[in-house]
Amino acid sequence: MLLLTLLVVVGGIGLYMALPRGRTAPARGVLALLAVAAAAMLVAILINLPSGIVTPARPTMVALSVLALLAAVRVVTHSRPVYSALYFVLLVLANAGLLLLMQAEFLATGLVIIYAGAILVTYIFVIMLAQQTSGKAPYDTEAREPLLGCLAGFVLLAVLAGGIYGTAVPGELKRAGPGGPLAAEAIDVRPDLAPNAALLSDVNRLSEPGPGHGTTERLGTHLLTSYFLAMELAGVLLLAAMVGAIAIARRQLSGMEGAA
Amino acid sequence: MLIPLVLVGAALFSLGLIGFVTRRNLIIIFLCTELMFQGIVLNLAAFGRYPLSGPPSLDGQAFAIFLLAIAAAEAALGLALVVLLYRYRGTLDANAYKVLKDS
Repeated sequence: MLLLTLLVVVGGIGLYMALPRGRTAPARGVLALLAVAAAAMLVAILINLPSGIVTPARPTMVALSVLALLAAVRVVTHSRPVYSALYFVLLVLANAGLLLLMQAEFLATGLVIIYAGAILVTYIFVIMLAQQTSGKAPYDTEAREPLLGCLAGFVLLAVLAGGIYGTAVPGELKRAGPGGPLAAEAIDVRPDLAPNAALLSDVNRLSEPGPGHGTTERLGTHLLTSYFLAMELAGVLLLAAMVGAIAIARRQLSGMEGAA
Repeated sequence: MLIPLVLVGAALFSLGLIGFVTRRNLIIIFLCTELMFQGIVLNLAAFGRYPLSGPPSLDGQAFAIFLLAIAAAEAALGLALVVLLYRYRGTLDANAYKVLKDS
């Protein structure tokens, strides 16, 4: 818990210092040091947390988590929008890796195709269209209320993380020790919700290779039976959004100020 | 596995919120909403895979897929609005559109 508090504080200070702020260039050495310290603390926390019901490839998960969070920090703090968008692609790839570890193969591929492939390409097109001036725009190099923003965000994060951590480890941290005798059986739910043998067999069933090798086939069946109406409505929503986007972007600027 | 993943999701959401509040470029503001969506996708999938009680289900993944559809619609509409605003004022600075703010 102490480490978690420390991580949130260090992260908040580091992000505050890293936000673009006018002419004063941020001290790169200090920032790199803070980033390394935060990453080390994050690794320590993730490794020391109680292991799950099943534990697939934990080092991979830790590495992907650190990668995703570092990319997210760069998305928020980079003063060039194109680089922000490219770091977002990195974040999406790391996230897709995490989803693969959760046996969400279809979701992982869908995330890469839709986010990294479609949405981010649209973003980069708009950035290229709108940023005609060379060099950095003044509104990119100066954050708005960085102190208050960081404070609000990291207070929210502290509350969320404290709640999640409290759920995982109610009062006793010793059970979570990596070398403790209970480490193998330690679970990440409250003791009164401990899994029984039947639940464990259910968990393992999800990871068994099915006829479609993975969860894709069952997910498709699930979507087209349990969520059939919602699927059709999603299609209608996408059509409406497309029509709306075309109608908005094609509007003529008669009677307004001329385009720049 | 649930707790680390949910922690990472919460951190992604908070970072997106900070970016949404502090950045002044309209495009980056929309990008930060996508950052928040990423955290939520991670949370939904993690809770579906490692539920607190009961067997793992595919509902989390199904919800995440609907979230992808909503995110695509939001990105299309939001970017169309950004393009319109840019043609109107010639800048992407959020401070240039203060007319909506109570003075």
